[in-house]
Amino acid sequence: MANRFDVPDLGVGLGLRTVHYGRILESRPEVDWFEILSENYMQTAGRPLHFVDAVAAQYPVAMHGVSMSIGSTDPLDRAYLEELRALRDRVHALWVSDHLCWTGVAGKNTHDLLPMPYTEEALRHVVDRVKEVQDFLGAPLALENPSTYVEFAGGAMREWEFLARLAEEADCALLLDVNNVFVSAYNHGFEPHEYLRAVPFERVVQLHVAGHTHHGTHIIDSHIGPVIDDVWRLAGEAWRRAGGVSVLLEWDAEIPSLEETHAEALRARLFLGEAA
Amino acid sequence: MNRYPIDLSGHHERASATFEGRPPRARAAPSAASDSTGALDSLSDSSLRGRQQWFARAVLTSESRVLPVSEAEARHALTPGPRLGALERLDIYRRGYHSRLVECLADDYPALQHALGREAFEELCRVYIEHHPSHSPNLNFFGRRMADLCRSEPRESRVPHGFCSDLATLEWAIVEVIHAPSSDPLTVEGLQHIPANRWGDARLVANMALRLVRFAYPVNTYFQSLREGADPPIPSAQESATVVYRSGPTIWRMDLTGPMFDVLSALLAGDPLGEALGRAEASLAHLDEQETVARVMFWFREWISSGLFVRVAIGSSGT
Repeated sequence: MANRFDVPDLGVGLGLRTVHYGRILESRPEVDWFEILSENYMQTAGRPLHFVDAVAAQYPVAMHGVSMSIGSTDPLDRAYLEELRALRDRVHALWVSDHLCWTGVAGKNTHDLLPMPYTEEALRHVVDRVKEVQDFLGAPLALENPSTYVEFAGGAMREWEFLARLAEEADCALLLDVNNVFVSAYNHGFEPHEYLRAVPFERVVQLHVAGHTHHGTHIIDSHIGPVIDDVWRLAGEAWRRAGGVSVLLEWDAEIPSLEETHAEALRARLFLGEAA
Repeated sequence: MNRYPIDLSGHHERASATFEGRPPRARAAPSAASDSTGALDSLSDSSLRGRQQWFARAVLTSESRVLPVSEAEARHALTPGPRLGALERLDIYRRGYHSRLVECLADDYPALQHALGREAFEELCRVYIEHHPSHSPNLNFFGRRMADLCRSEPRESRVPHGFCSDLATLEWAIVEVIHAPSSDPLTVEGLQHIPANRWGDARLVANMALRLVRFAYPVNTYFQSLREGADPPIPSAQESATVVYRSGPTIWRMDLTGPMFDVLSALLAGDPLGEALGRAEASLAHLDEQETVARVMFWFREWISSGLFVRVAIGSSGT
């Protein structure tokens, strides 16, 4: 089953990180594609653009943002959206993603992915804003399920129900982060496979996998270290349900060499089947 | 003229990972609200905006203060988890918020962090975060007020505030130069298009990715020493000047003497070449005219070949 947006399956990609710039540009390693962090190349006219232009000239690129704040009750930031669209056009990004979250309110930005209350009011609010963003971008927006550490009381539905209804009613794409499903499942005490069963996979255009830090009482989505096998197995299940979809490894702290990072990403082949 | 490149390959990402909290020295454990400063109302407005404002006030509360919400209030607004209470779960976000911004500032100010030591630097960052919360979707310029904070910081420190402020100014100049636009540099050949009779009133247009800074302390020497792996002592006050600029993707720092600073600052201010070079005569009054001209021409060639300028303007036109 291909996704309904005809977004291509690019294979197994890596999050582009500054420590790897030199290696990538010197040796042009055989990585299927790169995901760039949108904000790293916004509000800059300098050095970061030099590198992202060079990478985008050689590899397929998708954009992943952390600051759209789609769930905030503050107005959408038009200047941010304009810059996001300009970057998308500059690097010819194949799709643009951000998170189902809010990052601040009343003008202050926490730069964190804060949890939504899963209420009907919140659903209406986010659906309207996703439609507005998609109209502005002229393309579907892919929203990612975040890792969460707390849930608001009085929710009318679980996260997976909220996500499925949002995707349907806003007609948007999804970026399914299976590590986030695993992390939130542990932190809130639900069954990750129940989450996956509710995901409308025809809307999933990308999977994320990452390492995390287990504290016993809770798990932090730290993006440190290799991906545990349980998360890879979830990725395999999601990949099969989607009928094949682009997979990306996020590694954001204590980042090893490009070769080691890529080798970890390619473990996908053990869990996703030979076609990955 | 000493020039030093900077390898910035280790610059941190603005990633979607959750930051782990590093509890500060003075931080109280989360407990029932007893701190009268900034007490948070219980969640009386359960609208989406009401919930977000309540949650954000808790997250933005300084880690040096007790979280101004009781366990009962937290349970009213949030669900407990299988292994953590509602308040403990809320506090993960507060720690993550502060840790992320401390890491951002540490990324921008590695030398200042070294000079102060990690603990004092984190304390300074927490003051910074409380006084200058982010209002932007982007963290690239979050740290722009650090030099001002260092200058006005009232607390005693083993490191002079003036040194900290100068060092922060240097490190912020590097950040600005990273993000500033740049154009193809003017070449020595490009200068040959200037008619001989127009040299005096020609003006040089500076590379936008350039910052010229003057200091009360030799902070670039300290910075370079750190980059070479040394652990230099905090230096005594001694005037210095540095130009920070980018040529292609590479960031450079070039030390300047006082006379060099005078001439270069005049050129960057848009003074005609004749006037700017005349500054050198005043600064180098101890030299004869021939030596002065030779020295200034050497600087000039060095600055042109380093890419400090992008074109020459004569009258209202450029070349």
